[in-house]
Amino acid sequence: MKKKVLVAMSGGVDSSVTLLRIIEMGYEAIGVTMKLWEYSDVGGAENLQENNCCAVSSINKAKMVCERMGVPHYTIDFTESFKKNVVDNFVDEYVQGRTPNPCVRCNSFIKWDTFIEQAEILGAEYIATGHYAKIEEKDGTYYIKQGDDTKKDQSYVLWGIPKETLAKTILPLGDLTKEQVRDIAREHKLETADEPESMEICFIADNNYKRFIKEYAPDKTASIKQGQTLNEDGEQIGENDGYINYTIGQRRGIGVSNEKPLYVKEIDSDTNTITVGEKNSLFKDTCKVKGLNWLINEPEFPYNILCQIRYNGSRAEAVIHKQQDDFTVNFSTPQLAITPGQSIVFYLEDTLIGGGIIEL
Amino acid sequence: MSNSPLYFDIAATTPLDKDVANLMNTINLENFGNPSSIHSFGQKSHNIVERSREKIAKILNCKSSELFFTSGGSESNNIVLKGVLEKGDHFITSSYEHPSVLGLTDELQEKGIEVTFIKPNQDGMLNALDIKKAFKENTKMVSIMYVNNELGTINPIKDIAQFCNEHNILFHTDAVQYVGKKNINLNDSHIDFLSIGAHKFYGPKGIGLLYCKSGKKVNPLISGGGQESGLRAGTENISSIAGMALALEIAHNTYDENKKNILELENYFIDTLNKADINYRVNGSNRLAGIFNITFFNVQGHSLLMNLDIMGIAISYGSACSSGSANAPLALLEIGMPKEEAACSVRISIGKMITKQDIDKLIKSLSAIIVRIQKK
Repeated sequence: MKKKVLVAMSGGVDSSVTLLRIIEMGYEAIGVTMKLWEYSDVGGAENLQENNCCAVSSINKAKMVCERMGVPHYTIDFTESFKKNVVDNFVDEYVQGRTPNPCVRCNSFIKWDTFIEQAEILGAEYIATGHYAKIEEKDGTYYIKQGDDTKKDQSYVLWGIPKETLAKTILPLGDLTKEQVRDIAREHKLETADEPESMEICFIADNNYKRFIKEYAPDKTASIKQGQTLNEDGEQIGENDGYINYTIGQRRGIGVSNEKPLYVKEIDSDTNTITVGEKNSLFKDTCKVKGLNWLINEPEFPYNILCQIRYNGSRAEAVIHKQQDDFTVNFSTPQLAITPGQSIVFYLEDTLIGGGIIEL
Repeated sequence: MSNSPLYFDIAATTPLDKDVANLMNTINLENFGNPSSIHSFGQKSHNIVERSREKIAKILNCKSSELFFTSGGSESNNIVLKGVLEKGDHFITSSYEHPSVLGLTDELQEKGIEVTFIKPNQDGMLNALDIKKAFKENTKMVSIMYVNNELGTINPIKDIAQFCNEHNILFHTDAVQYVGKKNINLNDSHIDFLSIGAHKFYGPKGIGLLYCKSGKKVNPLISGGGQESGLRAGTENISSIAGMALALEIAHNTYDENKKNILELENYFIDTLNKADINYRVNGSNRLAGIFNITFFNVQGHSLLMNLDIMGIAISYGSACSSGSANAPLALLEIGMPKEEAACSVRISIGKMITKQDIDKLIKSLSAIIVRIQKK
């Protein structure tokens, strides 16, 4: 009997080709779409794109692709868990002056565990997703490696998934480029072949996170009024629109004129102030890390690795130090705009070995 | 045992009867005339519509002038609720009605209509006295479903209609799950309005009926060319109207035979289930033959549905939404079932095409899934 694989179907081109490849590998596939969000609940839906993953039109596309390949498709509702574990956290992080990464959180706390659980319920041995990354086995241990398409590589968002799920996960797109994926989809005349790229944050239909936070949590944000903009000496040089409207490293919209461009350097939610400085003042060579997850056995410290501190960012050499339960990363060259709340992701060459959340 | 998919969801919709399909095809190809046209083409179509109306009137034992063709149960329910109730009226319904009734109540309340919801008892039925107790000076209408779609339980419609009549209150029943399965005599009832959908008795989708007792006034939802005595404008769906009439006739002529068969299958289902050593509970009493709501303890209904579907067997869980995900069935929560149990309850409905072999296959698959899931 063929082994069964649960394929995560978003209704986009990547998951459609994932399904195709799983079938080509000889598995019996089951398509599942996780419904994570109801756009109509929090404004912005008038700007909803057809390809927003939880929109009915996307789910319909997923169903059509599955039917064309003779695969059953089901939608499973996880809106409650997504709201609690991802969206609430997203808002809370901004309210605390930090910059969250909801995709990482969703993968870490919802997607993988849930898909594995559903796979077990449906008698499937594996799950498959359309992430651009690879899983390789060596001596019975499974590792995540970056995707061959380095521009598209998505291993960064996978650092938080539970290590034990790697053996049950198939990532069939890791050796393809996005263009190749589209070509395969066109060749097979899949409904999703020319779907545009999905937007940055799936639950914010208009991609306007500032509006979203205000409408989603008026109780937490209404009191955040205009605040002071300070220079590096702590002197007021202007006013800000309320600290939640800024992220570390932001250049535009600061509203203070200066000879050289100014960037947001620090955000203080307690005093509702932002501190700005010139670019060279935003470089730091160290940060603290919390909420670590290792995708290998926890190494011994200090530990030399490559670190990536933002999606699509480059990787830098660094050393992780551990003191009791505190982890500190020291970079060999200073890094621009190390942003609290964002993920710091660890690699050994092209192997993803873990990650954590940046603290200052 | 055949390998074609098995369908245990006739409470959602039935397949189209072959004779009905053939009749509809013929009419679609040969009788395209507009029933309102004066020429022979129009006359032919007109006569098909009116003969169908008379056929149905005979079966339901009412006047043909009391029957109005609509697009289905939901539309019929909408016409009555929106076309009868006015600001200041009091309206009584149950808390486990079909969404085409429950979903309107917000709108009615906004319009200034007072709504009282009566809860069903633990057995899945409404108590006629509970409804009577809710009567007020300004109660204009009561709307109670004949058979609950999730549980298959039959409500004491006769008593409720009687109470309403005694108090000069209009009575509407959504009889979508009832008509076509059991006999009904409208002449001998105090039902003022009744909704029917053809696709629940092997008729076509998109066609239904509204029965309005003579002299009971309803305002139209769709106005226009004056069709259906002005109650429902729009060129008549001739083939579907004739298809519905034939489907109802076939159902009517086979009530007894069908009931006997289905009861036999029901008993066989329960016997086999008992032998399979599965922990279950059938929910609700006074059920319509062939509709089961069953709790399989510790097995999520949605999981069971998906697993059975993969094995080629269709059952129902909860109320599907447009995305295809599902929530625990509202009716079960309304009869006081704990949420965890409601989430473990599915609906299995047995139609006339089901055989004992099919039931064997269903239970074999059920056991295999339940054993596997419960092990986890």
